[in-house]
Amino acid sequence: MRPLAVLLLLICWPGAAMAHGVIADIFASGGQIEGEIAFSSGHVAAGATVIVTDPQGTALGETITNDDGFFSFVPVQPVAHHFRADLGSGHVAVMVMAEAEIRALMMGQSPRPATPSDEVRPEASATTTEDQQALATLIRQETRLLKREIAALRERQTFQSILGGIGYIAGLFGLGFYLAARHRLDR
Amino acid sequence: MHIVDGALAAPVVVAGTVLAVAGVARGLRDIPLERIPATGVLAATFFVASLIHVPVGPSSVHLMLNGLAGLVLGWAVFPAVLVGLILQAAFFGFGGLTVLGVNTLIVALPAIAVHLALRRAISAAPPPKAAIWGAVGGAAAIALTACCVALALTLGGDAFIPAAQLVLIAHLPVMLVEAALTGAAIYLMRLVKPELFHPMVRVAA
Repeated sequence: MRPLAVLLLLICWPGAAMAHGVIADIFASGGQIEGEIAFSSGHVAAGATVIVTDPQGTALGETITNDDGFFSFVPVQPVAHHFRADLGSGHVAVMVMAEAEIRALMMGQSPRPATPSDEVRPEASATTTEDQQALATLIRQETRLLKREIAALRERQTFQSILGGIGYIAGLFGLGFYLAARHRLDR
Repeated sequence: MHIVDGALAAPVVVAGTVLAVAGVARGLRDIPLERIPATGVLAATFFVASLIHVPVGPSSVHLMLNGLAGLVLGWAVFPAVLVGLILQAAFFGFGGLTVLGVNTLIVALPAIAVHLALRRAISAAPPPKAAIWGAVGGAAAIALTACCVALALTLGGDAFIPAAQLVLIAHLPVMLVEAALTGAAIYLMRLVKPELFHPMVRVAA
């Protein structure tokens, strides 16, 4: 029974690879890729080496985060970029920028059609490109704070979850007890 | 003490999973009917203890009480730890499912080492002395776990000595707390439930 449950869990798992306690994000900014790495505790990962590879794992270069946990990278090849930073003690930040985004970025187009910065574009249509970029930066800053808060929130263990976990354990072992007892009665 | 998805090399993950499956199979075979509730209680203890975080530097460490679980459960610690880790991964995103096997080994192997080393001393000694052995076991389990984490990270590419130092130093406060908790728990168990350490007495009676 239990192996079956484990197997089910393994199959249904969405394969999320986001490291526990690490918040990492990348976005296109002008002609380059910018990113930031922080811990959900609020500390930033300063001085971390970010290794950039293509999907096959071939190195494209590397960059180092500054004191605010930011890094930037200018793409040279129109392939998907994988960013990986090993923060030590088993903390790893992995970020991927898709090929289409890299191409758009290298062509100098607006990189992320889905970012909030584009949704406000109709209202900002009368503004200049610089204004738009300043606006995009501003929004990015605001959403970054939100993202960090959401990540911190997601990580906070709620009392209900803890009780739920204990309930699961009681249930699982109760089930095991029942099965074992029935097995013994059968004999 | 959770290694996250993606921090380890694939062979380490696979080998860890295989060994953990073997350990869990051995543990499941070892649990007598009367021990299932105790196993469940200690699984719940492990599950909850791991949620108590002590901030150390940019990261944080947490209690585990795997020494206590090992001393009481023996090989049955494997399924108990596995269940606790699955639920932590599912509810709180601790660790991850691909590294479940490695994490199970990291927590359960030290528990079994402590069990093999100290179980006899604890069941034979009078309660106060058993409490001291329990405290030693609790601290030793954490130290061994820290070494296991460092070893797993080394196999994943980190240099062993700095990684081990970092993990060990970070866990010094945890070792102290766990020594106190495990000692107290063992003392209490020896007083109110001595049969936990004498499975043969129950069969003979």
